[in-house]
Amino acid sequence: MTYTVYSMSAVAGIVLAGGRSSRMGTPKAHLEWHGSTLLRHITGVVGRAVDGPVIVVSAPGQSLPELDPDVLVRSDPEKGRGPMQGLAVGLAAAAEHAETAFVCSTDLPFLHTAFINAVLRGFHADPDAGWDTPPEMVLPIVHGFRQPLAAGYRTELASRIADLLAGGHDRPGHLVADCRARMLTEQELLADRTLAALDPQLRAVRNVNTVEDYQDARALPAPDVVVERFGVLATAGRGHRGPSRLQAANLASAAGQLGLTLNGHIVAAVNGDHIRGDGGWPLQDGDTVAFLSADAGG
Amino acid sequence: MTPGGYFGRALVVDVTDGSTSVLPLPDDVLRDYLGGVGLGTWLLNRLTHDGADPLGTDAPLAFVFSPLVGTPLTTSAKFAVVATSPLTGLLTDALASSHFALAGKFTGHDAIVLTGKADTLTSVLISDDGVRLEDAADLRGLPAADAEEAVRERYGRRWRAAAIGPAGENLVRYATISHDGRHAGRGGLGAVLGGKNVKCLAVKGGARVRLADRDAVLAAAKDLRQRSFGPATAKYRELGTLANLLAFNAISTLPTRNFQAATFAEAPALSAEDLAGSRSTVKTGCASCSIGCEHIYATTKGTKARVEYENVFALGPLCGVSDPDDVLEASARCDALGLDTISAGGTIAWAMECVANGLLDVPWLRFGDGAALLRALDEIGSRSGIGDLLAEGSRRAADVVGQGSASFAPHVKGMEMPGYDPRTMQAMALGLAVNARGADHNRSGAYEADLSGRLDRLNGSRDHVLAAIETEDRAAVMDSLILCKFLRGVFDDPFTEWAALLSPVTGWSVTGTELHATAKRIVLAKRAFNRRVGWTPGDDWLPARFLDDAVEVASGRSAALSPERLRTMIDIYYAERGLDPQGLPTHAAQRTEQRS
Repeated sequence: MTYTVYSMSAVAGIVLAGGRSSRMGTPKAHLEWHGSTLLRHITGVVGRAVDGPVIVVSAPGQSLPELDPDVLVRSDPEKGRGPMQGLAVGLAAAAEHAETAFVCSTDLPFLHTAFINAVLRGFHADPDAGWDTPPEMVLPIVHGFRQPLAAGYRTELASRIADLLAGGHDRPGHLVADCRARMLTEQELLADRTLAALDPQLRAVRNVNTVEDYQDARALPAPDVVVERFGVLATAGRGHRGPSRLQAANLASAAGQLGLTLNGHIVAAVNGDHIRGDGGWPLQDGDTVAFLSADAGG
Repeated sequence: MTPGGYFGRALVVDVTDGSTSVLPLPDDVLRDYLGGVGLGTWLLNRLTHDGADPLGTDAPLAFVFSPLVGTPLTTSAKFAVVATSPLTGLLTDALASSHFALAGKFTGHDAIVLTGKADTLTSVLISDDGVRLEDAADLRGLPAADAEEAVRERYGRRWRAAAIGPAGENLVRYATISHDGRHAGRGGLGAVLGGKNVKCLAVKGGARVRLADRDAVLAAAKDLRQRSFGPATAKYRELGTLANLLAFNAISTLPTRNFQAATFAEAPALSAEDLAGSRSTVKTGCASCSIGCEHIYATTKGTKARVEYENVFALGPLCGVSDPDDVLEASARCDALGLDTISAGGTIAWAMECVANGLLDVPWLRFGDGAALLRALDEIGSRSGIGDLLAEGSRRAADVVGQGSASFAPHVKGMEMPGYDPRTMQAMALGLAVNARGADHNRSGAYEADLSGRLDRLNGSRDHVLAAIETEDRAAVMDSLILCKFLRGVFDDPFTEWAALLSPVTGWSVTGTELHATAKRIVLAKRAFNRRVGWTPGDDWLPARFLDDAVEVASGRSAALSPERLRTMIDIYYAERGLDPQGLPTHAAQRTEQRS
């Protein structure tokens, strides 16, 4: 049995999967997303942005699609208490590993790591903006709405949320009123040049609630990515070695379009950072994917 | 009866007078340490006197074969050279390949150990007819390849020789021993041979290796050969290890300008992808090998150089040199002088940074200057000018220069770092820190974990440590059997599959579990030897640069390796290896190691 030791400065990711999906008529977590599922896609995107664990909070007895083995799953103790209950469960679990967490719902197919990073930067002390000490919550305000399910939280808020729930205060607004929350406007978010370049319309918070929402989202092209191949892969497969552009929602799709197979001897480095060999690893607009031989060494 | 694959004896030759003795190798020793690096470590533990100077008369230098040498198993024509390193003061073991391994084993010995010191430069010749010492004064100053050829010309084409170049004669602490153009490269074994006044060891033999189950060995060899043509070895066959260069640049682990950066903007000019089309002249391989990883490139002036990732990284980006002609010429120069390219490049890059910081008054030695690189190599090989200081390696040179230069001397235990930035490969960071040989990639192999796609390579953890232990164990067995590391990807269940190769050769009924235990014994035996010759807990550490300065990868994420994280990883390593918190074997571990 092995386990990972996270530094306590780590950031966790929490995906709330326990919603009723009543308007969709089918569980959102299981919705197909470019050959994967929406929940697998979201957990993958969140996992790319945080260095701590990704935690999925499910409803009691809820079935979940297959997830990356590293994803932790925690269950709400009781049904029907809304996102605050899931938030309390998720933050309590995350507090074992991390001081802060990015929290989101399952239904954000265009969530982008640049958005997550921009939100998490809101935890930095910023005296010019009146934050001499870091806030307890970073709450984006996008398209005129507060976005508590695409926001950052100190994990120590878990107990305060539990207290609020015990007092019958089960709406995120109650927490906002009860903690030091830093609001991030669209203008402040888009001051992040990476986010401004990759998601200028802040599609990251566009959720899908209905079948029509989902169909519209699904009809859009897969992310636009740059691919490169190195070593013997430069001459294997189709096309020139790159860089070149293609549309792919995950590594398997990008590899397949190049005539490559992620077979253990081939891995991919995304943006020169994470190295992955699993085809389900999600891609997003602006990614650069380098395919290379796993058999390195000399 | 002696197990198949072995002769059950080592030949010990005192080169002072040519006297010999035979050291019996009992079956249990062979089974516990196999051959190659493992058996060599056992021999060193047995034959080294406490306090012996690595370059002195007392120091033994062991050429060790293995049970698989002489079998039809692909990549098995390899030998290990094992001694106390004049660079680190600790154990060093280096592998080389080809016909010397076959001819040496066919003398009827599992190992040949040289001790003593000849009065004048000498060739040592060992054959079925016995041992003789021949004057080699006329070979002085020759590159190893020329000396090798001269010996075969003089004594007959059936002789095979391992020789040193001028650097070995001049006791450069990272001089190599080479044969067929392949080097036992790391740790200064060429200086050990030079310290004995031996230019070359030549071998010729007619003995044959008995196989316990010949048909089974032939079937296994056929299967292994077939698998060696698969995707796991494609990289080595088609472009060689230089294929790493651009990939490592893309993932910010290409050491540049003495590890001040992890990417090199001019890397494409030195890449295999670009050079192969215009510079490649020959692809070849070692004896008994079906992979054929060796790629020889030519400069525009016609100089031919054996090219691997490590020599291009060390003589290119590490020194800031981007002209392929300069880098290829420097590689060829290292071959001719008999220099370990990694230590040469690392020491020169350190000196270039000293010059840039005003700590050394050698104004011509600048980052990016190919002519300066070549001049530095020449001066190192001849121990002239600044070369006399740089021939000592970066650790000793930094001790002389002082002024904080030790903080950026790129070594562990005195051995210069290979081409992996430990901040962006943190399983490798652990492997480099704790490995017995020093900063070494081949005895650890932990880069496999970093590149596996299963770990976050920037965030070292317990999982990274366990993966590093596993790769270190695998290396210990591969280096003792001996099989080429380039085959490692063809094995799905390595220890079990290796046991299945060893059993029909020897007649032993070996299991994967037993071989895994053997690996751990060999790793501990190395550590036990090091403890005898002066290892201290502080030796298991990385240079300050890697712990003080972060690098940024292309995504913008910072790659930092804090002292606390490295300490935690080392502590986990010690505990998992059965070592105490100081890195010393516990009683239980010592019992395991001393079973024989």
